[in-house]
Amino acid sequence: MSETIDGGEESVDIPLLEFANGIPGFPESQSFALIHTELAQEPFAVLRCLDTPELEFVVTTPHFYFPDYAPEIDDSTVERLEIEGEEDVLILLILTVGEEAMDITANLFAPIVVNSKNRKGAQVILKDQDLPLNAPLFDKELIEQAQA
Amino acid sequence: MLVLTRSANQSIMIGHDVVVTVLEVRGDQVRVGIKAPRSIDVHREEVYAALQRANKSAAVSSPGALAALSKLPRKANPQNSPDGAVKKIPGSEPGRASGSAPRGKPNNVPNTAPDSASGSASDRQ
Repeated sequence: MSETIDGGEESVDIPLLEFANGIPGFPESQSFALIHTELAQEPFAVLRCLDTPELEFVVTTPHFYFPDYAPEIDDSTVERLEIEGEEDVLILLILTVGEEAMDITANLFAPIVVNSKNRKGAQVILKDQDLPLNAPLFDKELIEQAQA
Repeated sequence: MLVLTRSANQSIMIGHDVVVTVLEVRGDQVRVGIKAPRSIDVHREEVYAALQRANKSAAVSSPGALAALSKLPRKANPQNSPDGAVKKIPGSEPGRASGSAPRGKPNNVPNTAPDSASGSASDRQ
């Protein structure tokens, strides 16, 4: 546990993830930690860059909001991350949190793929799988109906 | 920018191990084949640029964006919700990841899947 910028406590899930190729838009950002903070609690977490000050991404595993999500990971990623079995793979979706919290979207097109055994990770562009860059987590109409 | 003129079936070497081959010229479209080591990502420029933009807008540097998270319903869309329970991020159990595992293909199959965007394919071997 340690203090965060907003004074809350946080816990580290995975202390060091190595993204040898960085991630698109941030090619120099190669070391990340996966943490939970007071604000980012399950099913959310923060992927914090250790090379670039203040660079963080809010992420979630697909299970909760996108239970049917089953990306097919290409061979070059399997080889590059030295993935030996499906059980070693952790999939994280990068979230974009807008002005309105309910407008939050997930990037299903290019998930973060982590080999939890060797902690190598990459953001993988899924080819030919026709998945959106900005998939809403919430269907506002459905939620309003459910509340009515 | 280096400009080279090539005909169909002629190639360009980039470094020691990237080969770009013009496969076919048809009307205003050109089919290009790219042979590159697996450590090098090959993408259509517009696909990569869209992902760069998405990542930049997803990057948060203020606690404000995180504060928005705590206001979210801990509830999936009614039609999506598996059982209404909030599941753990699997990384918190060292060495384990559950559910939604990718369907990995055997390692020895060449990576020849074309890009997802429309237009001509950039096959690689």
